[in-house]
Amino acid sequence: MSPSALNGEAAVGPDGPRQKSKATIDTLGVGCIAMVEKNGQARRAEILSIKDTKSGRQFYCNFDNFNKRLDEWVPAKRIDFDHDVEWPNPDKDKQKDGKGKNATVSKKKAPPSKAQKRLGKREQSVASEAVTPHTWPEIPDTQPPSKAPSTPRDLEQKSTGTPAVVGDEMDVDEDEPAPEVKKEVEFSREAEIEKLRTGGSMTQNPTELARIRNISKVQFGQFDLFPWYFSPYPESFTQEDVIFICEFCLSYYGDKKSFIRHRQKCTLQHPPGNEIYRDDYVSFFEIDGRRQRTWCRNLCLISKMFLDHKTLYYDVDPFLFYVMTQKTEKGHHLVGYFSKEKESADNYNVACILTLPQYQRKGFGRLLIQFSYELSKIEGKLGSPEKPLSDLGLLSYRQYWSENIIDLLLELNDRDEKSTIESISTSLAMTTQDVEHTLQALKMQVYHKGEHKLVLPESMIQQREKAKSKKKRYISPENIQWKPPVFTASSRTWGW
Amino acid sequence: MTTRKVRYKKLNIKTPLPVLREHQIDANEYESLTTESQIVTGVEQGEENEYHLQAALKGVGASVDNEIPVPPPQKSVEADYDELYPTPYVEPRNYIKSSDTVEETLKGSLYDMTTEDDEFLKKYNTKRPANAHLSENDFERIMEVFEDTAAESAPYAEVDNTFVPYELMSQAISHHIREKPVQGHAKTIYEYWRSRRQATGNKSLHASLKFETHQEHDDMDPYVCFRRREVRQTRKTRARDVQVADKLKKLRRELEDGRQLVVFAHRREVLKREMLKTDRLVYEQRAKLKETKIKLNIKTDDDDLVNTKPQKRPKTEPQQPPRTAPHSQLRLAVRPDGGRSMEPVELTLLRDKQAERQLELLNNVELRVHDHRRWNANYIDLTADPLPPVKEEREQNFRPAKTTYLMTPPASASDSMEVDETPPVPEKSIAPLVFKAASLEDSDEEEMPSFRRRVGRLGRLFIDRRPGKSRAGLSSPSRESSLQSDRWKYDDNDDADEPPVYKIDTNSLRQMKFRSTIPPPTTLVRRPGLDITQLQAASRPAALPQAQALLQAAQAQAQAQAKVQALGAQGPGAQMPPAQPAATQQIPSVQPP
Repeated sequence: MSPSALNGEAAVGPDGPRQKSKATIDTLGVGCIAMVEKNGQARRAEILSIKDTKSGRQFYCNFDNFNKRLDEWVPAKRIDFDHDVEWPNPDKDKQKDGKGKNATVSKKKAPPSKAQKRLGKREQSVASEAVTPHTWPEIPDTQPPSKAPSTPRDLEQKSTGTPAVVGDEMDVDEDEPAPEVKKEVEFSREAEIEKLRTGGSMTQNPTELARIRNISKVQFGQFDLFPWYFSPYPESFTQEDVIFICEFCLSYYGDKKSFIRHRQKCTLQHPPGNEIYRDDYVSFFEIDGRRQRTWCRNLCLISKMFLDHKTLYYDVDPFLFYVMTQKTEKGHHLVGYFSKEKESADNYNVACILTLPQYQRKGFGRLLIQFSYELSKIEGKLGSPEKPLSDLGLLSYRQYWSENIIDLLLELNDRDEKSTIESISTSLAMTTQDVEHTLQALKMQVYHKGEHKLVLPESMIQQREKAKSKKKRYISPENIQWKPPVFTASSRTWGW
Repeated sequence: MTTRKVRYKKLNIKTPLPVLREHQIDANEYESLTTESQIVTGVEQGEENEYHLQAALKGVGASVDNEIPVPPPQKSVEADYDELYPTPYVEPRNYIKSSDTVEETLKGSLYDMTTEDDEFLKKYNTKRPANAHLSENDFERIMEVFEDTAAESAPYAEVDNTFVPYELMSQAISHHIREKPVQGHAKTIYEYWRSRRQATGNKSLHASLKFETHQEHDDMDPYVCFRRREVRQTRKTRARDVQVADKLKKLRRELEDGRQLVVFAHRREVLKREMLKTDRLVYEQRAKLKETKIKLNIKTDDDDLVNTKPQKRPKTEPQQPPRTAPHSQLRLAVRPDGGRSMEPVELTLLRDKQAERQLELLNNVELRVHDHRRWNANYIDLTADPLPPVKEEREQNFRPAKTTYLMTPPASASDSMEVDETPPVPEKSIAPLVFKAASLEDSDEEEMPSFRRRVGRLGRLFIDRRPGKSRAGLSSPSRESSLQSDRWKYDDNDDADEPPVYKIDTNSLRQMKFRSTIPPPTTLVRRPGLDITQLQAASRPAALPQAQALLQAAQAQAQAQAKVQALGAQGPGAQMPPAQPAATQQIPSVQPP
């Protein structure tokens, strides 16, 4: 994409010109893009869902070039109705009409390229394109659609494709989705499912509904957490103001009494696995997804609330979970974790990695990352996190990588030694690609007098020295009591 | 975009790169290899341009720390943390090892009562006397039984809306809950449970995740999670099949070996046990006998006891031989270890005696052996050494045409054949013999045709064939003669008497034994090329013993003959005569020329 993205230019919604005109509260529908006030500024936002509350109609907005975790329900007063609203593009839908319900040939020819493109793009663009179908193909002021009666599929579409779950009262005034749209949705569905199947182990769930946060508040231990993303907790939980999660067994409750009762019976005080690392600050536990299915599922549900790109499509069996805890007089509190495939075809050493929000920005992420690389060192492998990274993930990894590479290079510089990408990679258990990308990102890799060289920027050195004076925490590898687990051929073949 | 003037070499990951600081290089001279837009971030494309991320990435290396904003967590106000988490934690000294699942660590029922349940239970209890109140735990237990039974016997309740009847439920209750007073509540609770299930569309009362039920619907439903993963298919190739089969075979073999080991070990141990039992039995019997003797005041000699003794102590005996020599020592040694009051004196005495006798015997034997050796010191015992390649030996080179033998003729045999340059000369004096009768001995391996190989003059190679028994009668005289190692014995020409004919297998053990007693035959003496001279030289001073040996040999031969006859039940009168000529015939040949 272009640097213009920083200026907040169109990234929301489908490409191509859109019809623009003024709108009212009542005509504004799902899929429209309006100017919405965010942090005191007007910003383009796509309406993903609408609900009527006692205080008036609310719109779920996804802001242009803002991460989904900043999506929110917005009252009508924050929407600028003086500004033109971009309507969902009917042309696009018309175009698809031609394909008809069973026009398999044309369907196979035309959309695939589009679908292909869609696959490559991130969910935002995927979603925005996929959104159009089940928004309203007609401009509201044209004649009401002569919609076909809802087929079962329509109903299904409605229940899954539109955010009906968020509030029963929403969408009442909206038209039925056009039947012809279904094909397109179905098609992209196949493509997306395919993506899920063939893609990495834990990519995101691509469905529309999953774009909208379904849990508003979670009570977890001493904290109230505000989820960032959708998580497939029981559907009835979406109606709860707050859900309760047991800090130790991670069981979830919509009902407070149930939770209290559970707490009286729950005896867990640490993650249900073997402790493999301990120092005076944190502990690490290794947990097998196959053995601790309930606990690991619960953990995944929690982490899904804070990881956009995580998928819970498949079960937890093929993963090991490395859980970082901090000890208090109540027990071992979950701080963060990373999951790791028991056998990764792409040599990933991390599948998902998360520090819980209440522990974020305290350096725990670096400990998690360091630990994952320490395990790789013990295994004698080079590791890399599974892609895609989230924005926060990228920042954390970049920081870890650059810190370690700079430390290593400073040492080499002192001794006046040369270095290769490969030797950096092996001494840090990082893949050579990660090393190269980090060097490039830090602008350290230069071409000088016909020779590649590594140059340590002064600013980075100063930053390192400043950081070192802060006395950060590190994992002490000698405290790790761990052997790479071995899985039999049968458990690998039949275990998942 | 800047246009590059220099074309970069592609950077190899193995290229050593100098590591420099900024001041070590002229900043104007280098240009950064890449522009930022080219760097792979690993973030999804659509997300890469997000405002906050870009801001944060820009900030790297600069002093500004741009953070990505997130919805902030808060300390919970409502939750009474200490009340919810009352148990203090005691850290074990060692790293925690745990494998209990969540369900296993829950103490109490898996059903957690809801606010609604709580209200119902409170109301329910107010109507009852204080001593008949239903506790929350018991309520949950009952509810758990209902839920479990429903899930088990009506798994599709949600769809077909069946309710498990109370009769079934009460059975389950009485099965799972022993306490009678608690059982009494079941009926009312059942009605409540039913109403609650009805209100929620007969779903399980516990909010549960959506698992896969129907492929079509599920795939796009974001609430459906934790699907089973398809089994990974391995490519099927013939090589893999073979590999697998081999592995299985190997595994089978190894398992079988292991099994055998165990079986044998088991058998050994069983035998050991048997032995111990027997030992014990023996001991007990002997003790009984002793007791009886004492009781009856029998003071017989200790022979009966003695007999048992050696069996009793098979283990101690091997240790004793070294100490057997001095008597006094032995006696002392045995008494303390035996511990039995009666036996030691006599028994040790006997053993002493036995050992003594044994020793004496051994010494005697040893002495005689010595004597014998000394006596034979200057003689050459031809029988003791490997037989020289006598004619009879060569005869042996015919070997039965057994496949095994034919496949690989032993090297030594062919070596010895190389030596004999002249083919054996059949003795003309011997008349062709007709073999008519078959002795008992004929019945062994004679039947087989045999072959031999030898090298003649000018390196010609001969293959001699000896046909099987059936054709023996028709074969040429020379062959016949070769068949008959000791033909001269029957050489007397009293054909009229219809002499018994003995066919002898030259390779039979008995025959070989016998032959070994025969001194070197005439052919050997006559033969050039062999170290006969030496042999003769050796035998000359030993004329007397040689003769003696011959005599012995003759006797032995006669004995053997007699045996054969006895076996064959052949005609009489032929026993002695054949032996005699043999002896007489032999002697001259050995005599020094």
